[in-house]
Amino acid sequence: MLTTTERILFVLMALILGGLTAILFYGIYKIIRRGRPAPPRENVIPSLIGAAIDVLLQRPMFRSRPVLSVFHAFIFFGFSYYFLVNVTDVLEGFVPGFELIYGGQGPLEPLPDWPINLFNLIADILSVLTLLGMIVFLVRRFITHDKRLEFNEGVLLNPKVQQGWIRYDSLIVGVFILLHVGSRFLGQALRLAENGRPDPFMPFASAASFLFRGLSEGAFTFGIHLTWWLALGLILLFLPYFVRSKHIHLMVAPLNLGLGKPGPRGELDPATPPGSDDDAEPGAKYVQDLAWPRLMDAYACIMCNRCNDVCPAHSQGLVLSPAAVEVNKRWLFNEHFADFAYRGNLPDMPLTQHVISPEAVWACTTCYACVRVCPVGNEPMADIVDIRRRMIIEGEEMDSGIQTALESLAKNGNWFGKGSRARARWTKGLEFKVKDVTKEEAEYLWFVGDTASFDARVIPITQTVANVFQQAGVDFGILGRAERNSGNDVRRVGEEGLFEQLAEDNAAAFGKAQFKKIVTTDPHSLNALRNEYGPFVEENWEVLHYTNLLLELFESGKLSVSKPLSHYRVTYHDPCYLGRYNGEFSAPRKLLEILGVEFQEMPRNCENSYCCGAGGGQIWLGITPEGERPAENRIREALDALAPSSNGAAADDKQLLFVVTCPKDVIMYTDAVKTTGNEGKIEVRDMIQLVEEAISG
Amino acid sequence: MNIVVAIKHVPSTADELELNDDGTNLDFDEVDFVLNEFDEHAIEQAVLVKEAAGGEVTVVGVDVIEELDGVLHTALAKGADKAAKIVGDIEPPINSHTHARWLADAIGEMGPDLVLTGVQAVDDLDGQIGPMLAAHLDMPYVGVVTGVSASNGSVTVHKEYPGGVMAEFEVSLPAVIGVQAAEKPPRYAPISKIRQMAKSAEIEEIDADEDFEYEGCELRQMAKPVSAGHAEMLEGDAEEVAEKIIALLEDRGLL
Repeated sequence: MLTTTERILFVLMALILGGLTAILFYGIYKIIRRGRPAPPRENVIPSLIGAAIDVLLQRPMFRSRPVLSVFHAFIFFGFSYYFLVNVTDVLEGFVPGFELIYGGQGPLEPLPDWPINLFNLIADILSVLTLLGMIVFLVRRFITHDKRLEFNEGVLLNPKVQQGWIRYDSLIVGVFILLHVGSRFLGQALRLAENGRPDPFMPFASAASFLFRGLSEGAFTFGIHLTWWLALGLILLFLPYFVRSKHIHLMVAPLNLGLGKPGPRGELDPATPPGSDDDAEPGAKYVQDLAWPRLMDAYACIMCNRCNDVCPAHSQGLVLSPAAVEVNKRWLFNEHFADFAYRGNLPDMPLTQHVISPEAVWACTTCYACVRVCPVGNEPMADIVDIRRRMIIEGEEMDSGIQTALESLAKNGNWFGKGSRARARWTKGLEFKVKDVTKEEAEYLWFVGDTASFDARVIPITQTVANVFQQAGVDFGILGRAERNSGNDVRRVGEEGLFEQLAEDNAAAFGKAQFKKIVTTDPHSLNALRNEYGPFVEENWEVLHYTNLLLELFESGKLSVSKPLSHYRVTYHDPCYLGRYNGEFSAPRKLLEILGVEFQEMPRNCENSYCCGAGGGQIWLGITPEGERPAENRIREALDALAPSSNGAAADDKQLLFVVTCPKDVIMYTDAVKTTGNEGKIEVRDMIQLVEEAISG
Repeated sequence: MNIVVAIKHVPSTADELELNDDGTNLDFDEVDFVLNEFDEHAIEQAVLVKEAAGGEVTVVGVDVIEELDGVLHTALAKGADKAAKIVGDIEPPINSHTHARWLADAIGEMGPDLVLTGVQAVDDLDGQIGPMLAAHLDMPYVGVVTGVSASNGSVTVHKEYPGGVMAEFEVSLPAVIGVQAAEKPPRYAPISKIRQMAKSAEIEEIDADEDFEYEGCELRQMAKPVSAGHAEMLEGDAEEVAEKIIALLEDRGLL
């Protein structure tokens, strides 16, 4: 179909632009390799296959925004299919007489019709769906102005981004897709119009062909050539831009998902690269101090801001945006591409000035919601922890509350400023003596944690746990004054050295104690003990949450409900470090079922649970930032979920409860019920309080 | 500038304090020791002066319970250059005269331009270490200082008087300064740096003059205050509480 001149032009363009693109791709590879080593990826091939399947099924997309994800799926399937379509289009251009319409023309004639008809049908439908999806996305961005595509005021953004370059980029990519797919679709319609009859396997192109009936021969030839060039020539022209544009996500995202972090979610990457020498600086000051997967994240990011939607800090209106971390890194690479990629002449640009402001760094609760929701497998939280690590080691100014907490943790092993002798003082209110596992053997070592040991609001709950364990005949003991803070939040604040010290102290105490399993009420301690104590302890003890143990006690008949709690309508809050981090969703829900309460989920539950705002050291902050605090937002969500009208329950006089299974949640939500003025409407209860009520009725 | 910071290891009040059997002092086997809080400010101020004017910071203290190393490592991690401890057959309590004598002996050998120390310490609430050091070393002394800046051959110090009056002194060097608060809150010392110091730093050991004895005064008795009564919480809503208050006042004949 193409003239000789056109053929030569196309081949030349393919060679020149393709070559240029290859050089640029190599540049991206070099940029990613500028990052520090990361823990080695294991089972890369199965992991990449798994990622490919996930991408083909669009699974990561449907973690949020289901409707938009459907339109994305249209574009995704269409665009993927177009890799095949483009091949046949090139053949149509270069092989005389080669045409797909009517079950195949020219050299295709001898082949059976049905595979070609099927191919045509899918191409026809997907073309229309892709155009539809793309139009929806453009309308959403440029006409209805979806607020979710914007950043909070005060978020540090690259100047280019401030000038609107994400919008321009989106427009260019959008128009490219419309032209590419639209032209190919119209080209087929023109061929059908030229032949004067529709193809039943190309229903949409056939319908469109009626628009072109009766054009002159010359007009058909011109139209077919023009649409061919707009479909295929455009790809070549677009390729070098593609490397700069966020559209490259379609190649990097599957790779990023496949090369994701090995090991449990709750285990942070080490502060210095594996295998580095002793004087390697922990954490990151410059973009090249980050591990290579963090640099790849920037290329995988499509700037959809789904992470902002679920970020408790961003939702509060603070200056932290996990999306901006990726976006800024990406624009930094775009701006200094040659320096990063080829010259190795890395610009002196501290992350805290070009990627994320120090204020934003200290606003992260490390709740993992951004990482969990990201459809392309990015981990902006890991950047933040690494930046904190370097800020701590370089003695950058930090919040006075966090400093006080760290100093107390270093001195006393707890953040309450109390001596270690006071740690077991809560047991004085019990009618029995709690074993000291460093002195006598017990089946369970109960790792109590700071909040449960020292906070006056939580101590009665801790005592109730002890009483219920005792009543159920659980053989348990505590470390007493030998216990230290687990270091979970210390590590997430970035104080790696203090985390190590605390872990070593606890490991030494474990070494002196005699026990079989560990149980704790504190999800933060559970996370550290279960996922991060490997290098410090010799034995790999099973670490249970008290809800697991309680469930076991009910199932084995050691506890039983004597008074079902049907007078309560309750909702349950999944603590980040129990649920999202450690996958423990079912035990608390089963317990609530056993207890006989009326249970209602909140819209954000399980993996999608919303952080209370205390984690990652936020509970230590000396200042309270402006805006609706995450815990307040959550209490309102709970009240909506529990309202009789919203869940079909009849209006009755059931008492509404907000059930928690984390000592920090007791504090955060009791406070939030007060500050939102909802005292008397809903009450915060720890699971153990319900258990106690039900078994002693 | 050669800056020396004299520090003191004192009992921690994070725990409830235990008294010894004959009630003459704390039970030192049952208390943890921490760095005197004002000395933390003296160290910070010394590092700030060094950062502004150059020089070297040496931290020195009496190793009362043989646990001073951690404190010295922390000071080094915060930016001090050298550390020294005064050792010997030492048992707490050490009175401030002895403390000052030993510190002065050590510091005198160091040839300091500027000696900083906390204005007082929680263990004796004496506030005497600074003035006594100055007397032993024959240097001028200014106490209760909230900021030190160095210039050629002298330092300018700030001092806050009651009633919101600020004073500025120019003190010729060498001098002893009693620090109430550093210009900035004491910085955080990352534990990994402290641990590095623990591995690599050398702490100079200086022998205490154990023959020195001070017999000016003696601590006769130490006891916990006996609580005279306790607060009664009035329960109920505003109306009920108000009624109870009125009843109480009437009861005591105040209404």
